[in-house]
Amino acid sequence: MTKLSHFPGSCIQLLRNYLRVYVFLSVLSGTFLGAFAQNGATIKGKILDEKKASIIGATVTIKGTTAGSVTDVNGDFKFVVKQSFPVTLEVRAIGYKNQEVDLYENVPVEIVLSDLSNRLDEVVVTGYSTQSKKYISGAVTTLNTNVLKDNAAASSFSELLQGKATGVQVTSNSGVPGGSITFRIRGTNSINAGVDPLYIVDGVFISSDNLIKTGMGNQAQSNPLADINPDDIENVTILKDANATAIYGSLGANGVVIVTTKRGKKSTKAKINLQISHGWSKAAKSYSLTNGPQSAVLANESARNTAIDNGKDPSTATLISAQPDTLKTYDRLKDVFKTANTSNYDLSIQGGSDKDTYFIGLGYLNQQSIVKPSAFTRYSGRLNYDNQITNKIKVGTSLNLSRTWRNVSSNDNNPVGVINSALFVRTYLPVYNSDGSYARYGAFDNHIALIKNLNNDAVGLRAIGNIFADYAITPDLKLRSSWSLDNNDVYENNYSNTSISAGIATNGSASSYDTKNQVLTNEQVLTFIKSFGKNGKHYINALVGNTINSSLYQSTGATGSGFATNDLTAISTAATTTGTSSKSQSKLASFFSKASYTYDNKYTIDGSIRADGSSKFGSNKRWGYFPSGGVTWNASQEKFVNKLKVFDELKLRGSIGLSGNQSGIGAYASQGLWSGSGSYLSTAGTAPSQLANPNLTWETTRQIDFGTEFSVLKNRLSVSLDYYDKYTYDLLLAVPVTYSSGFASYTQNYGAVSNKGFEFSFHSVNISTKDFSWTSDFNISHNKNLIKKLASDIALGASGRNISILKQGYAINSFYLYKQLYVDSKTGNAVYEDVNKDGKITSADRQVVGNANPDFTGGFTNTLTYKNFELNLFVSFVHGNKIMNMNEFFMVHGGTQKNIGFLDRQLERWQKAGDITDIPRLTTYSGDTNTNGGSANNYGGVVSNLSSRYLDNGSFVRLKSASLSYNLPKSITRKAGISNVKVYVSGTNLITLTKYRGLDPEVSSQSSNQNTAGYDWATAPQPRTITTGINVTF
Amino acid sequence: MLHSNFQKNTDMKKTRYFIGISLLALTLVLNSCGSFFDEKSNGNISAETAITDAGTARAAIIGAYDEVQNYYSSYTTLGTITADNVVFNGSLSQYLQLDQISIPVDNVVTVAAYQGIYQAINSANTIISLVPSVSDPALTTTEKNKILGEAYFIRALGYFDLGRGWGGVQLRLTPTKDIASLKGVKRSTLDQTYDQVLSDLIKAEQLLPDVTASDSNLRNRAQKASVRALRARLHLYRQQWSDAENYASQVIAETTKYNLVTPYKAFFTAPYLTSESVLELTFSTNDKNSFWNLWYLSNLGGQYTLKPSDSFVTKVKDPTIGGSRSTLVAGTSPNVYGVLYNSTAGADPFYLIRIAELYLIRTEARAQQNNLTGALSDLNVVRNRAGLVNSTATTQVDILTAIENENNIEFAFEAHRWFDLVRTKRVGAVLGVTNTNLWLFPIPGSDILSDPDVTQNPGY
Repeated sequence: MTKLSHFPGSCIQLLRNYLRVYVFLSVLSGTFLGAFAQNGATIKGKILDEKKASIIGATVTIKGTTAGSVTDVNGDFKFVVKQSFPVTLEVRAIGYKNQEVDLYENVPVEIVLSDLSNRLDEVVVTGYSTQSKKYISGAVTTLNTNVLKDNAAASSFSELLQGKATGVQVTSNSGVPGGSITFRIRGTNSINAGVDPLYIVDGVFISSDNLIKTGMGNQAQSNPLADINPDDIENVTILKDANATAIYGSLGANGVVIVTTKRGKKSTKAKINLQISHGWSKAAKSYSLTNGPQSAVLANESARNTAIDNGKDPSTATLISAQPDTLKTYDRLKDVFKTANTSNYDLSIQGGSDKDTYFIGLGYLNQQSIVKPSAFTRYSGRLNYDNQITNKIKVGTSLNLSRTWRNVSSNDNNPVGVINSALFVRTYLPVYNSDGSYARYGAFDNHIALIKNLNNDAVGLRAIGNIFADYAITPDLKLRSSWSLDNNDVYENNYSNTSISAGIATNGSASSYDTKNQVLTNEQVLTFIKSFGKNGKHYINALVGNTINSSLYQSTGATGSGFATNDLTAISTAATTTGTSSKSQSKLASFFSKASYTYDNKYTIDGSIRADGSSKFGSNKRWGYFPSGGVTWNASQEKFVNKLKVFDELKLRGSIGLSGNQSGIGAYASQGLWSGSGSYLSTAGTAPSQLANPNLTWETTRQIDFGTEFSVLKNRLSVSLDYYDKYTYDLLLAVPVTYSSGFASYTQNYGAVSNKGFEFSFHSVNISTKDFSWTSDFNISHNKNLIKKLASDIALGASGRNISILKQGYAINSFYLYKQLYVDSKTGNAVYEDVNKDGKITSADRQVVGNANPDFTGGFTNTLTYKNFELNLFVSFVHGNKIMNMNEFFMVHGGTQKNIGFLDRQLERWQKAGDITDIPRLTTYSGDTNTNGGSANNYGGVVSNLSSRYLDNGSFVRLKSASLSYNLPKSITRKAGISNVKVYVSGTNLITLTKYRGLDPEVSSQSSNQNTAGYDWATAPQPRTITTGINVTF
Repeated sequence: MLHSNFQKNTDMKKTRYFIGISLLALTLVLNSCGSFFDEKSNGNISAETAITDAGTARAAIIGAYDEVQNYYSSYTTLGTITADNVVFNGSLSQYLQLDQISIPVDNVVTVAAYQGIYQAINSANTIISLVPSVSDPALTTTEKNKILGEAYFIRALGYFDLGRGWGGVQLRLTPTKDIASLKGVKRSTLDQTYDQVLSDLIKAEQLLPDVTASDSNLRNRAQKASVRALRARLHLYRQQWSDAENYASQVIAETTKYNLVTPYKAFFTAPYLTSESVLELTFSTNDKNSFWNLWYLSNLGGQYTLKPSDSFVTKVKDPTIGGSRSTLVAGTSPNVYGVLYNSTAGADPFYLIRIAELYLIRTEARAQQNNLTGALSDLNVVRNRAGLVNSTATTQVDILTAIENENNIEFAFEAHRWFDLVRTKRVGAVLGVTNTNLWLFPIPGSDILSDPDVTQNPGY
């Protein structure tokens, strides 16, 4: 019954959307196709740049006439001539030197234009099409491989984007190889829905969802983009504003990252490239712990002070040791950190005949962590193949296969993590018991036992594949159909034997998970590109298309406990076993169209619209519509601008549009559900789990962008500037509802988030002589994030300590703490800000004290070449963010944590009247907890260490990478039959300038939740790495 | 010419083929048009069809028990670490806050318990609302009544546990179907909350069967005796001494079903469901109770967050106070740990009501009614089972003190001590927490923000 009533609405809607776009298309073809039919001989040809890449929009005319054409997306042109041969072709394209070619007979010609090195003339891949940058009204950044490959220690391309592109904030959450990263384009748009951009690799929408299930203490376990070998990548394009992203509709609100991998070029000899590198990594800094005697002195002092506070004689206090000096110090950290090795091998072959092109890439990466026993290994293979079957039909495929292996080791917020077990245990406590067995204290495991016995494997198999066919219906009208698959499968096997605490009680425990994420996409795109009129004054670039997208997630798991011996690890041999399985599936259907019109190379106006229907939403509000529009003015084409003789290029652009978001919420988020997961007395039960919301619909981001790009000083200085204003409304928010309802939250469209910012970058050629050149690239981005509307405050983070808060009028990722004003130099007690001025310290006195979002991020790259040497220095910087140092939260505890040792900072505590410090007097007294300036709140009490004194400035400037390379002279290599040999040495994270007191300011330990950024919690720091390598091209 | 024609022909064929492929996708959408967006979960059922027949009604009451299971680990923590038998020994500050009775409004354990109880209540409300109208021949009136009786019992237990922890709470008696219907329910007084508990217990007693001693679910699903036992406890909390005595006696009288077991540790040693239990929540390796983890040493695979206090260890190991109840702890100083929850395979039950409690309820009720002989006789039953001699207390005051101490040791690691001291207003005298505002847990802070009808307990 429900199906029937539902059928007509949804069906008609679908048809209507399909019809809309096809009507749009037929209008286009009707208007423009008919206008160009002519008679006469047809001249064909192709315009290329020096790198044999197509030049779009080059004007080709017969000299002395008005007959001519403008090249299309492939650099091809053709037009009808009435003149008799020979004729002289005149070719002009912005950024290239004009060229004349004599043509004696009508054969296809290939004309190569030499470069004027103008950055605006790059061709970029944008949504469903390729466009010349000068016509694009959207904010788009493209990065080429050579810009990306300077950090040899990175395992994924996403890490390589750090500090390279404006508006993009990339943070490696930990120093674990293959570990998770935080990637945000122009700030955080959402609270409960996804905030990661859409990643598209060669037209395949790929999933960036982590699949590893092994618990890591609220750290996101892995970066699924590390499945792609960065060496295979040709370039990465980042679409930031609404005009560029709206064509992706509901998927585009968080920005789009388009990755294009290398493809062969037609009629080129096979090029074989071999790269080998090896790196050594170390922690740049280690934790400073108090030694054994110091720890005991602190603990004793706390016990005596507590006795005094309780009105007792301090001599009655229970001391750790009457003679602290006699205690030994056990250094556990040295067992945990090591020098880690990284090996990378990459072999690729590319080339092509006149019909087909190929690229084959094979890669191997083995990366150890500086913290035992984590490691990451990747085997990758890629095949990209294109074949021009006829001059109208081209087929091709892009196929990526990779296998990853991770030794997953938990740190972060997990008492049985390796770092935790070494860091938190008091230093005077022995590592082994007197009988030689592993000693354990409090909730912590023994670190040596963990290092030797942790056995958590995660094996990933990733297939990203795409087949496509292009059909040129007419030279101007092309249809592409593409079928894609992203299949990510992770198989985990974990075994805790009886030597580690996770396996002791159960006599060995094991778990195994097989998790699959499958995204299937089909798309059809019909593209129309045409220039017409005198000198090709009018240029049209339009497309219409549809996609159908289906996402499947399924997971099966088994656990076993009670094993006969530690050598039997198969779950089938366990005494008790359990199994789980889960599955969810969602679908998305989309129709889209985009058109741009350019007049005389000067003015471009464009617009797009997309309609999306999602199975996640309520039947009432399933479809969302996302329009956008923009204008571009190539002012440098104007005579009056040329007369100024200032700008070699000047482009102004503006855009506005809507994009949507439906990721991150459950596949069944709009349905009223009862869960079948509960059981009692071996009988399955059901219980209410989710309230229905048939009105649930798209979260929408409205974005306005103004930008300019210009180059001056004969193109030696190119500048790009953008301002944007994003407003995300109808947030897909898990609005807290009263617990007395039996539910905790209700997913509804409520709330709004704003992100505003500017982006600035320049590229300058400082020196360019025959032997020596120096170029600089600088970029800086500012983003201001603000929650504009929220149902009520949502406090979260740090395992229920709720250190982070979402609060209207403040940024996402704000910290919610008691603000310590000072430590009273008379009493030694901490005094906090009494926000509500009631004379007491209560929970009402918690307040927002800063957030984890940087005010500014950016990077500065300098490349110096002298003859065959090249030196590349890359500095990245982050300014204005705060980090909650959980290591200090736990280890500067004043004695309240009986099982946890102290960081050196605890030694700065107040000891006697007159001491000026921010670390209060040691005590565990718990009376009068509401008294401000009372000793109960120094470390415990109402404040319970939720004090701003552990909130640090996270700003840093870092020499992220420095590399020196040398190309062997051709005279030598040619003799060996080698076309190029490059040797290099590079260093990563060599120098870091920061006030942050922890190991590394680039950290986010609670990254599994997007709203708890900026914690440092027993996390492996970014390593300092030295890499040497060789790159040989045959 | 020929060649080009041929080319054209194949091209046209390819064109048709190509357009065919591209239209295939459209066809796929249209063919499956009606159901294209209809995705259903395989782990959930629609709320609209959640209770429609015998099978779903049975599953719903099982689900309600599961939710009682879910909240009892945090609830047991609330009843123990807050008092003097158990101290904080871990690194998780939510337990430190409870130990220090310095509980913020977002304390994880109080929030989890509060939320969990209301989840169970919402399940019970749904059953109470929907099961009467189920018409399925497979669901007999007897079974229907049993399911309804259990739902009333679970709701009574939920509101009782809320009342003794948070005071009078919002009484929600209908299932939550949407957000709008939640408005306008203010907090009740503690008396009103307890009145609701009583009313539900009366209905439950009418509806539930009086099962035989051999019934396999005698001790882990509600039936008449479990209702009476909870009712005895309710009357004790409300100081309705004769009712408390009366209902405790009714349960104690069922000697074919309930006896004190010896040795003391027999009831928390597998096989469980001993005759000591009036109601316990059964767990198994497939439905794990991981509460042991909070008590066990890390050397034994636990977290050791909840640690028996030195003063308790001294008492329980004193043969004149603890007797055979010293088996509640194991290990040697300083690493003494509690072993009431000891199944590392996860099969530990939660002991909701033991027959020992009914003796101690009746003791107290009798002592309060000045039946000192009767009181002593019940007190000594419990003492003797632990291998202790009879109590030497003689005056009413001394006997009441003796009862308090006996309760303390007998139910050391169950959800008793804190609530007993709050009930007898002895928290200040015994634990030194003189600020009576702190004798009630805070209402979760997020509820204060999300629900304008709820008010916070004073002092938070």
